[in-house]
Amino acid sequence: MSARAFRKILVANRGEIAVRVIRACREMDIASVAVFSEADRAALHVRLADEAYPIGPAPSRESYLRIDRVLDAARASGAEAIHPGYGFLAENAAFARVCEEARIVFIGPRSGTIALMGEKTSARREAVAAGVPVVPGTLEPIADGREVAREAERIGYPVMLKAAAGGGGKGLRLVASPAELASALARARSEAQGAFGDDRVYLEKAIARPRHVEIQVLGDHHGNVVHLFERECSIQRRHQKVIEESPSPVLTPARRQRMGELAVALARRVGYVNAGTIEFLVGGDHEPYFLEMNTRLQVEHPVTEVVTGLDLVKLQIRIAQGEPLPLRQEDLAQRGHAIECRVYAEDPDAGFLPSPGTIAALRVPGGPGVRDDSGVYEGWEVPIHYDPLLSKLVVWAESRDEAIRRMRRAVAEYRVVGIQTTLPFFVRVLGHPAFVAGDFDTSFVDTQLAGKDGPRPRSVEIAIAAAAIRAFEERRAGRVPADRPGLPAWRAAGLRDAHASRPGRQG
Amino acid sequence: MIFDATVRGRTIRVEVRGGGGRYTVHLDGAPLEVDLVGTGRPFASLLVAGESHEVAVEKRPEGYAVVFPGEAVTVDLAEAGRGSSLPARHAHGPSRLTAPMPGRVVRVLEAPGADVVAGQGLFVIEAMKMENELKAPRAGRIQEVAVREGQAVEAGALLAVVG
Repeated sequence: MSARAFRKILVANRGEIAVRVIRACREMDIASVAVFSEADRAALHVRLADEAYPIGPAPSRESYLRIDRVLDAARASGAEAIHPGYGFLAENAAFARVCEEARIVFIGPRSGTIALMGEKTSARREAVAAGVPVVPGTLEPIADGREVAREAERIGYPVMLKAAAGGGGKGLRLVASPAELASALARARSEAQGAFGDDRVYLEKAIARPRHVEIQVLGDHHGNVVHLFERECSIQRRHQKVIEESPSPVLTPARRQRMGELAVALARRVGYVNAGTIEFLVGGDHEPYFLEMNTRLQVEHPVTEVVTGLDLVKLQIRIAQGEPLPLRQEDLAQRGHAIECRVYAEDPDAGFLPSPGTIAALRVPGGPGVRDDSGVYEGWEVPIHYDPLLSKLVVWAESRDEAIRRMRRAVAEYRVVGIQTTLPFFVRVLGHPAFVAGDFDTSFVDTQLAGKDGPRPRSVEIAIAAAAIRAFEERRAGRVPADRPGLPAWRAAGLRDAHASRPGRQG
Repeated sequence: MIFDATVRGRTIRVEVRGGGGRYTVHLDGAPLEVDLVGTGRPFASLLVAGESHEVAVEKRPEGYAVVFPGEAVTVDLAEAGRGSSLPARHAHGPSRLTAPMPGRVVRVLEAPGADVVAGQGLFVIEAMKMENELKAPRAGRIQEVAVREGQAVEAGALLAVVG
């Protein structure tokens, strides 16, 4: 494949990842094309892109998942390539194939690779063939409910029930006993059908207290494959990651090297091109078991970027242009420590229920070693139709201890008003002795953070004072002036005083 | 001006004096000197005995939610002598199950008349691409189901009454 530079790239996504890709394009002097649903006309990615095209109504099935409309936008704009981000069409083999046929470069692996690794049971079979250990379970998808029950008995409870076409924690349930199977199967199937259009499932033995550790790989069109070390992703809620870090506090250099080699072996076996991630569960025995391969850029890719000093999106684009990888395995190193906190529009005090709505006020942290990959802005109404990820707060520091302190500082500066977010949850995790010690697994959120303390006594005093002063000023000012309903009373009072003290303006 | 402030079920008497950004706040008689300035809606900066606090003050039906990094404190306020604006507490009687967020009712799992145990799943609501099971707030009999499958609901919409 001969190298050719893209002049224009269409970003087939929304939210923070669309913004991330648009920013990379801007820095590479490549024009960016956004697509948007009716709910996203005012979204940040539309505002930042060079061009933007509507692709349908708010529900993603009628817009962001419409292959025909995305391709129409690509043709209309003259884009030579499409970056799919993550989610939506990113792991849709049919979409990648249609792009290939339309001679529009899909920035990702070949459609055949997506199909092979996207079907989770065939990915497990490839891992076995590449000599990578897998979690015990079924190697074929199951369509029949009675067979699911039989296989679960054979493997032995507890089992993980997973969508064969799955990913991102959707269509995934832990089943502790036969009594829970029927309802778990119904929920998993319904979610899988909605998310992937395929309700087949498979089973894995549930590994007790596992850690989730994944290896980033990059492959080019010239047969080169490297790994970019690991990301530790064990802090999860609803089987979805909320905090990631690199390096993992549990990997020894020898284990890191072995997992990297396993990941490269699997990527080579399937002829992997572009950025991908091989996920492992690490059991109590510290042995890695292949979980799945994500054939796309991961949400948590910035963690790898800040410890390796690389820009994964730019590398994806350069690989898609046909360039060879600009680095060899021996050139790569992890430097310092990175942590990412995913700021979701969810209420951590109500079981992480979604909390869509208008962002009334937003204060974003800054200072040394802080990066905020956001897809929102103050005044934006977070729609109910899509994933509730608002932004990813990433810090870098020389050591894990310093990175935790920096993240605590950054989280305290980060203020989102109007909707509930996971920020208060991060304060609790980052201050938890087990997290600080690096001693945790994927059950951490459910087992270690179950009880919630009340507010600190000093906070209660300050809160009562702030509330009482606000009420006092509102009553003194005769409530908030009708023409400035949103203005706080103390500011309204200040304005009134200012006008009153400048009588000359009336004359 | 004197208020009764209630936080997490505990009520104290609060008196506010002053103005122009400088206040004396008595909390059950203990004085607190507060320097408060608005720092852009809805934030306020408080200096209390040298401590700096940046909070967001959000209106709530019964008072305000005061948001710190990592925690929020809901303060219900009633002006003393004007009667309480606090909601009556219903320790007994039927429980209303309401939608905690806007979304779409995917499944109605139980019908009126069904006896349910606390924590039993009653509805599945889809929002932001996740299906969330809403559970019975207490044991009892379902007296009313206010929604049907496929219906869109707003946050706070009544779903069912469990008696």
